[in-house]
Amino acid sequence: MNSKKKWPNFISWFLERPKKTGYILSLILNVLVILICFQRYHMLKEDQESEMNAVSEKIYGNIEQSIKNCQATLVLLAFTINDNGIPQNFDKVSKELIKTNPIISALQVDPGGIIKYIYPMQGNEEALNLNILDSKYHKKAIYNSIKTKKIYFAGPLKLKQGGMGILGWLPVYKDNKFWGFTTAIIKLENLLKASESNLIDSTKYEFLFSNIHPKTNQEEFYFSTRKKIKDTNYISKKIPNSNWTIYLIEKNRADIYLPILIFGTLGLIVSILVGLLTMRLLNTPEKLNLLLKDQETKLLKNELKFKTIFEQATIGFAIIDACTNNFREANNKYCAMLEYTFEEIKEKGIANLTHPDDIESSLLNLKNLEEGKVREYSSEKRYITKSGKTIWVNLNVSPLWENHEKPTTYIAFIKDITQKKESEALIEKSQSQFKSLIDTIDGIVWEYNIETSSSTFISKKVEDILGYTAEEYIENPTFWEDHIYSEDREFALRMSTIVNKKYTNHDYEYRMVTKKGKIIWIRDIVNFVYENGKAVMSRGIMIDITVMKEAEKDLSNSFHLVSEQNKRLLNFSYIISHNLRSHTSNIESIISLIDNTDSEEERNEMMKLLKSVSNSLNETMNHLNEVVNINTNISLVIEPLNLSQYINKVKEVLSEQIKLSEATFIIEVGETNLVNYNSAYLESILYNLISNAIRYKHPERKPIITIKLYKKRNKDVIEISDNGIGIDLEKNSDKIFGMYKTFSNNPDARGIGLFITKNQIDSMGGTITAESTPNIGTTFKIYTK
Amino acid sequence: MKKKIIWVIDDDIIYQTIINKLIQKMEVFSNYSSFMNGKDAIISLTNKLEEDSNNLPDIILLDINMPVMDGWEFIEEIKKIKSKIKKHIQIYIVSSSIAIEDKDKSKTYAEIMGYIPKPISVNDLISIVSNDNN
Repeated sequence: MNSKKKWPNFISWFLERPKKTGYILSLILNVLVILICFQRYHMLKEDQESEMNAVSEKIYGNIEQSIKNCQATLVLLAFTINDNGIPQNFDKVSKELIKTNPIISALQVDPGGIIKYIYPMQGNEEALNLNILDSKYHKKAIYNSIKTKKIYFAGPLKLKQGGMGILGWLPVYKDNKFWGFTTAIIKLENLLKASESNLIDSTKYEFLFSNIHPKTNQEEFYFSTRKKIKDTNYISKKIPNSNWTIYLIEKNRADIYLPILIFGTLGLIVSILVGLLTMRLLNTPEKLNLLLKDQETKLLKNELKFKTIFEQATIGFAIIDACTNNFREANNKYCAMLEYTFEEIKEKGIANLTHPDDIESSLLNLKNLEEGKVREYSSEKRYITKSGKTIWVNLNVSPLWENHEKPTTYIAFIKDITQKKESEALIEKSQSQFKSLIDTIDGIVWEYNIETSSSTFISKKVEDILGYTAEEYIENPTFWEDHIYSEDREFALRMSTIVNKKYTNHDYEYRMVTKKGKIIWIRDIVNFVYENGKAVMSRGIMIDITVMKEAEKDLSNSFHLVSEQNKRLLNFSYIISHNLRSHTSNIESIISLIDNTDSEEERNEMMKLLKSVSNSLNETMNHLNEVVNINTNISLVIEPLNLSQYINKVKEVLSEQIKLSEATFIIEVGETNLVNYNSAYLESILYNLISNAIRYKHPERKPIITIKLYKKRNKDVIEISDNGIGIDLEKNSDKIFGMYKTFSNNPDARGIGLFITKNQIDSMGGTITAESTPNIGTTFKIYTK
Repeated sequence: MKKKIIWVIDDDIIYQTIINKLIQKMEVFSNYSSFMNGKDAIISLTNKLEEDSNNLPDIILLDINMPVMDGWEFIEEIKKIKSKIKKHIQIYIVSSSIAIEDKDKSKTYAEIMGYIPKPISVNDLISIVSNDNN
């Protein structure tokens, strides 16, 4: 954990310091390059040295071999010397020896140091008989050789036969006493050839052969102009039994190390460039880095904020494993809501916290989420708290995995809505209370949205009143119009909100048709709901007032009847007041006159008058009695009557008058001529009207009486017309059916016939009308009930 | 005191007889005429206007309910010929009706001097005559 944390810090340290990083990187690369160069150099050097060693070793070996061979040759030659000191078959042996050891160019045997035998003689004649011991330069070495009994090589020196050569002297002893030498002359070129020093890479190495001059003790170099070796890289080997040294000098070192140098130089340049590039590269992300840092800070802040929110939020959060449904985290609020500690919640698990009735739906929701059917969901569910209380929460669940990813965890937010739920339940309760209250209202409570022109509420009462359900009403936008009784539709529409845009509260009445086809009366009370001065809704109650309407109709009928009766009563009271009083006042006056007279004659006269008044009074009383009887007779028998039969009956009664007046009848009553009426009344009515027609006949013509029976508006009409004098109805329309109303000076006119006729017709529930033109005639129409 | 001319318009014969008796007894009336209905009276009045305008009635006792032409119609006819009548005729309604409507209606006519319910008494006639004198 610690190193993991440190590592990015370490990197970021560099990332934040591009200059330093550049320097450091370049430095490291430089050191690396130098190290490589050194290694290369050392390797090269080692290679060189080992190669040099090998080369020098080889040359040296070859030389040594040549010398050894030479020594062996000389030893063999020495063996040829017989006791007499004469080399046997010298030339032949020498020839053989030179053949086997070709670097030797000549062999000598020098008894006592004097050159006596030379092979090949040719070209070496001058050396014959020379005393080696007399040699200026080699004297010391030769004596030393004799002393040490070891071969001694001298030279190189100029050969008398030409060229440079070296001489190998092998002291030969006879009976342990110095006898002479066997000498081999080797051309230097041949030796060097044998040494294969000519085969070395002359570009790399330089081969040197030196000899310490026996006299001067100075080192002399051959095949070179050098006087001294200044070079540091060389290998030298001393050849034994001589003063020779061979050198192998390394040539052109710079050339050899040039690649390293180039590599080094390039490496340095590259490392500097890399440093610079790194600096540049790091410099560029520095801004980004700064931004990143800024954002990091923000992120950190957000994280802190989130953390705070998570812990302090008034909403409960929980992070839950999608596979196992185990709680990963839950904030304080979540725990507080459920009254458990987080550990307890974790232990309990979702299923145990959820209200048993909500478990199934909760699991289904989670399953849908897990299967990707939904991306998130919210629901209202119940939890059971530690104390056993049921709380309602609004749950929002969002997955914390992408659509294509495998489910990992989801986050659940819960908000306590118990109070809301409770108030909702309360509202619902009060709403249902209101609804049931509204439903108990004996009328269809309705609500209509003016803006959408649709019914928004219809109370249940519609079923009782119209027989349709509230749904049927609301679903059909023109239900109301469609179910108004056709005769009232235009009026109702004119009054309704649909057409009437005044939007003032009002009420009106119209008829509607129920599901069963019954026509009912509706009183519609309309109120408007205003919002911002604009009518948006109308509400009202449609009350079934059919019963009331019927009662009203009955009442109106009754009123009509009562007012008719009242009118009759008034008339009656008037009759009493006028007709009875006229008699009583007369009686009063007569009695007063009787009281104030002394004359017997006058008294008798008054008594006669009194008698006449009494008769009149009696007659009036009879008339009134008749009228009262008509009006109080409520159990009249009504039956179908043959009209023509009754006409004939009346004609019989009036036969005298008919005969006198020469009246004719036109009867048009049809075949059935049946009319529903009371027998006595029908006879009385016909009698009164026919007798009137005859009584008020026109003086200049014979009466013609026409009687018709027909139906009009389902009512039987009996029409009786005459061609009599007629009545000026303009003046007398209100009097024609009145009691004691007479219109002529005819002494038979008593003003009672039409009065009784009218009363009889009224009591049958019918009506009578009169049309009349003076001097033309009169027509009465009797309508049955 | 100049004797008065009095007309009685009423269809009740018994009443006519009684009023005749009373008038005779009073001896303040020089002339007495009776009519069975308004029409008869108005015809007579029109005739008198043309032929004998000096003998126009001073007092008319008028009944309401009569055939052919009732009391109210008679008043309407009087109104039509009023301009021709130079004499002030005092018209009294004398009716057996005690209906308030009739009494009220009588007050709407300026021509009607008073409403006297039957039976009319001698005292009623005296006050009518003294009224006329004033």
